[in-house]
Amino acid sequence: MTEQLRPGRFVSANRRVREDRRFVAGKGRFVADLDIPGVAHVALVASQHPAAFIEEIDASEALAMPGVVGVLTGDELAASTDPLMNGLDTPHVRRFPLAVGQVRYAGEWVCAVVAESRALAEDAAEKVRVRYTKLGFVLDAEKALQTDSTPVHPAHGSNVLLDKTFVWGEVERDFEKAEEHLSFRVTWGRNSTVPIETFGVVAKWDPWEQVLDVWASIQMPKYSDQIARALRIPGNAVRVHYDVDVGGSYGVKRGIKHSVLVAYLARKFGRPIRLIEDRIENMRAGDAHGPERIFDVDVAFDRDGRVRSMKMRALDNAGAYAGRAPFQLGKPIGAIVGPYLIESVQYHAVSVTTNKTVEEAVRGFGQSPTNYAIETMMDRVAAHLGIDRIEIRRRNFIRHEQFPYTIPSGSTYDSGDYHVVVDKVLEAVDLPALEAERDRLRAEGLCAGIGVAACLEPSGGNSSFEPLLNEKNRTSTWMESCRVNVDGLGFVTATVHTTSSGQGHETLVSTVVGEVLEIDPDKIRVVRPDSLGSLPGNSPVGSRMAIMLGGAAAKAAEDLKGQIMRIAAHALKVSEASLVYREGTIEGPDGLKLQWSDIVDIAHRRFHDLPPGVAPGLTATHILQVPTGRELPKEGRAQMYPCHSFEFHVVLVAFDPVLAKPEIRRYVIGHDCGTVINPHIVKGMTLGGIAHGIGAALLEEFAYDEGGQLMTQSFLDYLMPSSHEVPAVEIVKHVTPSPYTVFGQKGSGESGYLGAPAAISGAMHDAVRAWGITFDKLPIRMSTVSDKIAAAREHDRKTA
Amino acid sequence: MKLDIRGEEEIAATQAELWDALNDPEVLTKCIPGCRSMTELDPDHYKVEMQLKVAAVGGSFEGEIALKDKEPPTTCRITVSGAGSLGTGTGEAQFTLVPKDEATTTLQYAGEGEVGGLVAGVGQRILGSVSKHLIKQFFTALRKHFAEKTETAGA
Repeated sequence: MTEQLRPGRFVSANRRVREDRRFVAGKGRFVADLDIPGVAHVALVASQHPAAFIEEIDASEALAMPGVVGVLTGDELAASTDPLMNGLDTPHVRRFPLAVGQVRYAGEWVCAVVAESRALAEDAAEKVRVRYTKLGFVLDAEKALQTDSTPVHPAHGSNVLLDKTFVWGEVERDFEKAEEHLSFRVTWGRNSTVPIETFGVVAKWDPWEQVLDVWASIQMPKYSDQIARALRIPGNAVRVHYDVDVGGSYGVKRGIKHSVLVAYLARKFGRPIRLIEDRIENMRAGDAHGPERIFDVDVAFDRDGRVRSMKMRALDNAGAYAGRAPFQLGKPIGAIVGPYLIESVQYHAVSVTTNKTVEEAVRGFGQSPTNYAIETMMDRVAAHLGIDRIEIRRRNFIRHEQFPYTIPSGSTYDSGDYHVVVDKVLEAVDLPALEAERDRLRAEGLCAGIGVAACLEPSGGNSSFEPLLNEKNRTSTWMESCRVNVDGLGFVTATVHTTSSGQGHETLVSTVVGEVLEIDPDKIRVVRPDSLGSLPGNSPVGSRMAIMLGGAAAKAAEDLKGQIMRIAAHALKVSEASLVYREGTIEGPDGLKLQWSDIVDIAHRRFHDLPPGVAPGLTATHILQVPTGRELPKEGRAQMYPCHSFEFHVVLVAFDPVLAKPEIRRYVIGHDCGTVINPHIVKGMTLGGIAHGIGAALLEEFAYDEGGQLMTQSFLDYLMPSSHEVPAVEIVKHVTPSPYTVFGQKGSGESGYLGAPAAISGAMHDAVRAWGITFDKLPIRMSTVSDKIAAAREHDRKTA
Repeated sequence: MKLDIRGEEEIAATQAELWDALNDPEVLTKCIPGCRSMTELDPDHYKVEMQLKVAAVGGSFEGEIALKDKEPPTTCRITVSGAGSLGTGTGEAQFTLVPKDEATTTLQYAGEGEVGGLVAGVGQRILGSVSKHLIKQFFTALRKHFAEKTETAGA
């Protein structure tokens, strides 16, 4: 446990988000805004087949066109670079930025054409002739799993990337002892976050300095390391500029293949190269699809509604290459029982390759699909026993006094007060009134339903799923760092060593440092040094920055304050214990006083007045290890993330039984993410997360036809929730501080999204309860709802 | 995605005239929508260059057309394969020419096409109607060809 600082005047205060000003004024600085002299542009030649050998590439016509700088093929790239990083131990699943010898999904990049403008590059790309021999392909995860399925990577031998079964506790015994069992299958459709800004990168190689400069719309851990490794150049030859704004990500802005490609081209052609994906490139070949997952769940429970044990198989369709995405089956292990007391769990995690676009990390890193499966389970158990859906959750919740609570898979939940949050939400909702409203809508002839979901947001992103799923991986830290510096004029500057994709790091760091040093956060500058000037860090993934960057900044500021107190004690010739720090002024006994400017003067100019052993200048650095991150997983059990935020959703949905277009009539969420550092940021995350969840539940899907072609590669077909679909959301706040963080904060970067799909699915089921219809796949399409109701009515008519 | 193509059209030509026209690269170049050139590779085997636009996607196609299982002047099988910036397409159809009266022949056709690449993804919702439209354009041009021929002959 960490010694906790008490939230005070800036932390949790209603203060503006500092970044908002430049975004609202349209003055953000995105990668496409950069004006780099001499830059050349890339367009891609994409595969038209889901699987084929590349027999011949004829670029002669393209190369002869005016303005064309050159053409790069996968063969050349593969000969000069190393494969992109693989998370799992699957060395024969090799991935390069361009297809090598074989294409593995429709849209995969085959050649890169470089020209003086993007338009010229696109025109030239049309003139590249590629001759293919078509191969068999597989799209469905179940089929890919079969031993006779066409392997996407023949050298790997099968399509199975990962097949691991964990048994935590006495599963078979608990199943035997339980009074009831039930089984079901649900499928989480392939969707993603699809940011407005597509991925973009500019790279420039300076042969005299021997440094590669990279500007990118990136949210990627170990990004510069990965570029250096792939290009076989020293780590300190890659300089990533972190001061580029990122226009949305929530996981998917990983762009490693784009970056290695552009970096290689920049070195090859000796000029800066820029690649900004267009929408189609982004959607079909940005390698940024989210999990597509089939859950088979068996649950054992007693007639009082208590769930005793659960067996879950999660089969994930990873697409054509492995990357880091299969780890999304590992992260949910850290909250595999959700907020419930379930004594034993069997978890079977399977990941397969298919001839679909590559999967990438998406908000929650697999947690939202898992939460959907767990919450469906609770609803089905409730329906089976005829117990109220909220009541059954209450009976199974971990109780406040049981924290810290260790779940069967080895993760300890830090804190929580689930029953109280639910009570507060129900009071805000006025449940009897909501039920009356539902019944009134039903009486009008509409389908109307109430859905509930309770779930956790593990936060503070450690990377324990890496060693858990890949024994060769020995990662046990996922540190984040901050430096706080007081300059010779007494002004404070703090550092962030990664890009921001909208998480509000500048607000976070200035608030936290201001809190500790008791100075106005608006006076604190926050900068992002480039990667060569940076401290170690892991980027804003895993809902971690409030905990990790906030923690590092607070610790660095405390360290700085400690230095100030030592300097003051020495200067005033009194003990440190007799001093009081108040808004930058140090007060001692008998009216002794040192101003901030005195301390700065001593530290920066008067070495002779410094205490022995104290270095001149005023600066402090803190590299924060993830709280609770102490050891490698043992016997299939791991401490995953340190903190666990809780959310409880109540939603009312109504629709016409024939048209079946769901309308969300009421949305209330109870949210407990511990101490809130900036309420506006948390609110924004939650509202955006719910919108994202509405998309996953009802609209968004990367759908393929039987020929392996992506059918939804523009916003005409890939439906995003808009202001028409996203309702006003009421947020009920509760604070259960985490004992593991400096202010008691937990993560909120995934809030809303982690429970919204489950809650909406629950409401849709409640709306059709009269017919006993189930929807076993997300998104729940209007056509499915309408067809199922029509079939049920037809059946009713016949049996009547 | 797969496309089902079938239908029949009446053409003001004798069976023999229609047969000849359908085997004449010059006529086909004129009638196939977007066809810019047709070069004979072998007998009954041609290389074609086309320029097409489907929905928001436009581009050039290069492909091959082959006529097989010919039974003059009544039936033959045509296979088409193409690739270009728009995407890929393959198709196979059976043509049957049935004399209706002295000056009219019914052309019956039935086949299946498969479209891949960008055009399949972006144009899917309109691909069915676009293919019908292209077929209609083909027959309009073919009728025009015979009309012009008659005019020339009559003049």
